[in-house]
Amino acid sequence: MTNNLERTLAIFYCRNMPESGEEVRQSLEKKYGKSIRLFPMPCSGRIDIVHLLRALEEFADAVYVITCPEGACRYLEGNKRIGKRVERAKSIIEGIGLEKERLNLITPVAVNDKFSLASYAEEIMKGAIKYTPSPVFKKTAHGAGKTKRKGSKAP
Amino acid sequence: MLKKVLKSGEFAVTAECGPPKGADPEAVLKKAGLLKGNVDSVNVTDNQTAIVRMSSMAACSLIRSIGMDPILQMVVRDRNRISLQSDILGASAIGIRNVVCLSGDHMRFGNQPQAVGVFDLDSIQFVKTVKDMRDESKIAGGEALTKAPDMFIGAAANPFADPLAFRVVRLGKKVAAGADFIQTQCIYNLERFEKWMGMVRDRGLDKKCYILGGVTPLKSPGMAKYMKNNVAGMDVPDELINRMQGVPKEKWKEEGIKICVETIERLKTIKGVSGVHIMAIEWEEAVGEIAEKAGLLPRPII
Amino acid sequence: MITAEQKPMNEIRDMIAPYKRILTVGCASCVAECAAGGEKETGALASALRMACKMAGDEKIIHEKTLDRQCVKDFVIQLEDVIKDYDAILSLGCGAGVQAVAEMYNEVPVIPALNTEFLGETRDQGLWVENCLGCGDCMLYFFGGVCPLARCSKQLLNGPCGGSQDGRCEVDPDVPCAWQNIIDRLSSFNALDRLEKIYPPKDWSKKRGAGPRKIIREDQKR
Repeated sequence: MTNNLERTLAIFYCRNMPESGEEVRQSLEKKYGKSIRLFPMPCSGRIDIVHLLRALEEFADAVYVITCPEGACRYLEGNKRIGKRVERAKSIIEGIGLEKERLNLITPVAVNDKFSLASYAEEIMKGAIKYTPSPVFKKTAHGAGKTKRKGSKAP
Repeated sequence: MLKKVLKSGEFAVTAECGPPKGADPEAVLKKAGLLKGNVDSVNVTDNQTAIVRMSSMAACSLIRSIGMDPILQMVVRDRNRISLQSDILGASAIGIRNVVCLSGDHMRFGNQPQAVGVFDLDSIQFVKTVKDMRDESKIAGGEALTKAPDMFIGAAANPFADPLAFRVVRLGKKVAAGADFIQTQCIYNLERFEKWMGMVRDRGLDKKCYILGGVTPLKSPGMAKYMKNNVAGMDVPDELINRMQGVPKEKWKEEGIKICVETIERLKTIKGVSGVHIMAIEWEEAVGEIAEKAGLLPRPII
Repeated sequence: MITAEQKPMNEIRDMIAPYKRILTVGCASCVAECAAGGEKETGALASALRMACKMAGDEKIIHEKTLDRQCVKDFVIQLEDVIKDYDAILSLGCGAGVQAVAEMYNEVPVIPALNTEFLGETRDQGLWVENCLGCGDCMLYFFGGVCPLARCSKQLLNGPCGGSQDGRCEVDPDVPCAWQNIIDRLSSFNALDRLEKIYPPKDWSKKRGAGPRKIIREDQKR
């Protein structure tokens, strides 16, 4: 099943999330096609501001970061640090006139809540339509053709 | 005249006059007029709170013109050593005989927070510089003056700032640097002040300089609270705030003056205190009443 | 280290507006330490600027490169091969770095992306504090390793002033009173008597006495 939304979302997630192994990732990519790009990380704390910005710059209409629940980060503080970096990244994009809502941090409430990559991805993709296409990907001033997202085919 | 009164052993009285935020000489003369006869000398502040006002030197000159003895306050915040020394020579030349050497409130508090703060000398180095100019007829660096200035040198002390123990060491440095007289920050906590005076006497500093206790009459409970919470280096005991709150609005000023007079009466009894410095900012009319009620009038003519 | 903070985005965009091909150059030394101009920050700024250009339909080419240091000629020269491709450099170096690059490539406009601030230390993660003025005549011995010129708001050599309360400076309650620190420090190694002397006026000529300063070392020259 392909998704006929024209939005592309990036999801960065911690590999320690339950049911987030390679097979899950591949099946999600198959399900959502070009609309989803998944980035497994050894810890959400390994994500830097530049990664989030590059995603928005190159292909993403919106970016999500899924951390481990509070207190459950196996590297103790990674999930806290990424929270602060997401805040800073939001203020950077706000400073260029890009909506800060395009960057999202999800910290699940508790470890024993049933949370898995697939269920979060599904929630996120359901909400994808609320994003307008990112103004980063539009015609140039000379109308010389659409600014291509990296990795997408020309229309 | 302050120097003469102190040397005679009489309890001295000084007050403060803040120059206007404008160029009108009448504003100075009016305030000074309210103080005339009620004080021995009058301090003229130097861009206090880092707010631009008519220069202290000019205002002092105006005050001299009506026969009063001005005390030139000079802060090190705005001028380097060249102009500080130059101003001492100029002040002496136009008959100003008293100077108080201060650090000055930081630029951040005033209406020119973008100004650079000079702080080329600190207040203690400035006291020493003036002393060397007066007693050895030389400027910083040793070059000789053609005529030495004649100055009675003052400095400020704050018995209520931290750290308490070191305050007296610093006072000692000011005296060693050449301070002839000291005016303290306004006193509301007499107990703490007496403790400080005890330490001052222990070091024999009361014998080396004249100490004038500062007082400021309260106008309202709001003023007392503001000073307690918003002004660095102030100690306003809660009981004074309660006293002010305990009287109706029409009686606030009366109560404030009453507290001030009581403070002065107490100061008169403390060994080592040679006078009082009444800082009735924007309430110069109160000085006369306070001086009278505290039994300080008439001022001696020496 | 020298600390700096990034200029507001709009200010940077205004300055680069006339140029079409911009090389954003970071520095891996001091400004990386204070998270203002290192490789990560350079990447983030370049990405944000490229996005801004795309959103505005502005066809700029913005590339990035980070040098080990921007204030040393031998590192700056690494730009030699690439500089011809650009009509401006946006430098995330401190003021010294920006100027060193501008000196070497003086026909290329070099635009500062940072506001250089102070000489200081990383007191804690995410916290940098000023502690040195570069006065040229270090007196830290006398003050127990706490500089009254850099850390006292009024640069008093015979402090504290009357506004010191609870170890806080009157200028900002978040600023510790340097003089309280000095007194505590000297007391802790029984050297409080160092404060009994009257420290004379500072010799400021060692800082700006003859204009901008320089150091020459014959033994270090080629």
